[in-house]
Amino acid sequence: MGNSCEKNGFLQAVRDFLFGFVAYGPAQVAVKTRANMEDLFMIVTVGGMLGIPIFSSYYSLRFLPYMVPRITTWKRRLLREKDFTDILEE
Amino acid sequence: MNSVIVVILGFIVAFIGYRVYAKYVDEKIMQADPKRVTPAKMYMDGVDFMPTNRNILFGYQFKSIAGAGPIIGPIIAIQWGWLPALIWILLGTFFIGWVQDYSTAMISMRKDGASLGGLSHKLISPRARILLLSFIYFYLLLIAGAFGNVVVSTAINLKSSPMAWLFLTIGGVLAGQMIYRWRVDILVTTIVTVAIALFGIWLGSVAPSNKIIGDSLANSRWLWAIAAFVFCYFAAVLPIWRFALPINYVASYIVFLGLFFGIIGILILHPDFTLPAYTSFTIKIGPLWPIMFVTIACGAISGWHSLVSSSGTARQLENELDARPVTAGVMFVEMILAIFALIIAGTIYASPSEYGAAIAKGPAGVFAAGVSKFLGALGLPAEAGRAYGSVMMIMLAITIMQLVIRFMRIATSELLSDISPVFRNAHVGTIIASLLGALLVLTGWWQYLWVLFGGANQLMASLALMVITAYLMSEGKPAAYAFYPMIFMFVTTIGALIYTSFNLLQKVFSGAVKGEALIGNALMGVVGLFLVVAAFILGWEAIKAFNRYKTIRAQEAGAKA
Repeated sequence: MGNSCEKNGFLQAVRDFLFGFVAYGPAQVAVKTRANMEDLFMIVTVGGMLGIPIFSSYYSLRFLPYMVPRITTWKRRLLREKDFTDILEE
Repeated sequence: MNSVIVVILGFIVAFIGYRVYAKYVDEKIMQADPKRVTPAKMYMDGVDFMPTNRNILFGYQFKSIAGAGPIIGPIIAIQWGWLPALIWILLGTFFIGWVQDYSTAMISMRKDGASLGGLSHKLISPRARILLLSFIYFYLLLIAGAFGNVVVSTAINLKSSPMAWLFLTIGGVLAGQMIYRWRVDILVTTIVTVAIALFGIWLGSVAPSNKIIGDSLANSRWLWAIAAFVFCYFAAVLPIWRFALPINYVASYIVFLGLFFGIIGILILHPDFTLPAYTSFTIKIGPLWPIMFVTIACGAISGWHSLVSSSGTARQLENELDARPVTAGVMFVEMILAIFALIIAGTIYASPSEYGAAIAKGPAGVFAAGVSKFLGALGLPAEAGRAYGSVMMIMLAITIMQLVIRFMRIATSELLSDISPVFRNAHVGTIIASLLGALLVLTGWWQYLWVLFGGANQLMASLALMVITAYLMSEGKPAAYAFYPMIFMFVTTIGALIYTSFNLLQKVFSGAVKGEALIGNALMGVVGLFLVVAAFILGWEAIKAFNRYKTIRAQEAGAKA
C-alpha cells in the first residue's frame, strides 16, 4: 500500500500542513453538508432499504441506476454506531 | 538560565521520544503494518472515512488539540517554579502524552474507527460507555467554565481585545457568506476577512473598550460572560457554515501567524529566566503533587486528545505507519508549544512579585505581554502586539468553548431525551449548557476552575489509557507502557479532584462564601466529586475487564500446553 505523500517534497509537506491547519476542517464540513443533503434524497427515494417506506416504488426504480453505486456506503454511514463524540470530526 | 537551553532540551526529548520510544512501541508492541487496510481505505465513503495525506492530518491534528491549554497551564504552573513545570512537561509527554494520543488512534483504527465510547463498550463493558459519556458531559461543563473564564478575564483586563474580537467575528461571518453563498474565490475571501480581523486588532489598540462603552461596562464580568455565551449560543444553533466554521477559519490564520512569529521572536531575543527555578511545594492553589500535574494538562497529557484521535484522525489515516507521525509527532510539537508558554511566563517579568501581580488578573495578560514582547522583536508596536496576543487568547479559548457548547447540546439530547422530548430541542440544550457554563464563570475563582478542568481532562486521559490497556491485554500484547501511566494519572487526578472539591465544599459548608459564589462553589465541588465517583466505577469495570482478558489468555496458554 503506497503512501500518497512519499513523492512530495518538503515544501509540499509544509503546504499540506498549512492546509490541514486552516482549511481541512472546513473542507470536511462542506463534504458532510453535501452528504447530509444526499442522505435526505436517498431516504426519500430508497428509504425502504433502511426500513423506512416513504416513496412510490415507481420513482425508486427510476432513480435506482443512479443510486446503486452509493447505496452500500450510504447504508453503512447511516447505520454506523455513533455517539455525541462524533461531533468532534467537524 | 537561558531559555534557548530549555528549548534545545525540549527538542532533544522530543527527538528521543519520537524516534526511539515511540518507534519501539509502534514497531514491536502495536506492530504497525503498512499492508493492513485502514478503515479510511476499507470504507472510503468520502464523508466520515476518507484516506488523507499524513501531512494534512498533521496540521489538522495540531489545530484540533493545540488550544489555550498548553499555553495557560504552564503560565499558571510556573508559580511552583519553572523547573518542576518543565520536568512535568518533558516527562509527562515522553512517558504518557504521546502514548495516549497514538494508542487511541491505533486502537480506533483497528476497531473500524470506533469512537472512545464505542471502544469502551467493546473492550470494557456496556455500562462503561454510558458512564464515560456522562463523565464527558460534566468534563465539557468544566471546559466551558474554565475557558469561559479565560475569555471574560481577557476582555476585562485587556481592553483592546473586545474590539478585535468583534471584528474577527464580523470577518468570520462575512467569510461564511462569501464562500458558501456568494461563491467568492477562497483566496480573495481569506485575504479580505483576515485583513478585517487584523484591522480590528489595530483598532482595538487605539480604541479600547473603556473608551467606547465606559469603565463600568468594560469591567463588567456579567457583560462579557453574556457576550461569550451568546457567541457560543449562535455557534451551537446556527448552521455551522454560517457562524462557527468561518470564524474558526479566519481565527486559524490569526493564531498560526501569532504562534509562528512569536516563536521566532523568542529565538531572536533568547531571554534568561527571571523567575525562580523552584519556589515552594505548596502554594495558594495547592501542593505541587497532585495539583501542578493537572494544572499543566494539554502540554503534557490531555484526555481531549483521545477524543480527537478516535473520533476524527483514526478514520482518516490511510496507512498504519502514519499514526506515529500524526499523533505522537503532534503531541511532541505541542510539548514544544508548552515550553514556549513557560518561557513567556518565566522571562518577561523582572521579578516574581511583578509576575504575581500580573497572574492575579488572569493568564491572558501574561500571554499578551509575552506576545507583545516577542512580536516586538520583529518590529510590531507593543500595544498592537498586546492586542494581537489578547485576541489570540480569546480565539484559542472560544473556539473550544463553542465546540463544547455544541457538544453539550447534542449530549443533552442523547442523555436526557428519554426523560422528556423537550431536551431534543436544540435551543433548550444550548441554553442549559450556556447557563451552567455562565454560572461557573461568574461564581468560580478561576484558578480552582482551571485545576478542576485539568483534573477532569487528565482523568479522561487516564480512562483512555484504561481502554488502551484493555485492548493490549485482549490482544495478548505487553501493556506496561500504558498500564503504569494509567495508574499514575488515575491516582494523581483523583487526588487533585478530591483535594479541590473538598476545599470548595468546605467553603460552602463553613459559610465562607455567600450568594452566587455559594452556588458556583457548590456546583464545582459536586461536579468534581461526581467525576471522581464515575472514575472509580469505570476503574472497577476496567479491573473486571482486565481479569477477564487475563483468564482468557491463561486458558489459551493452558490449551496450547
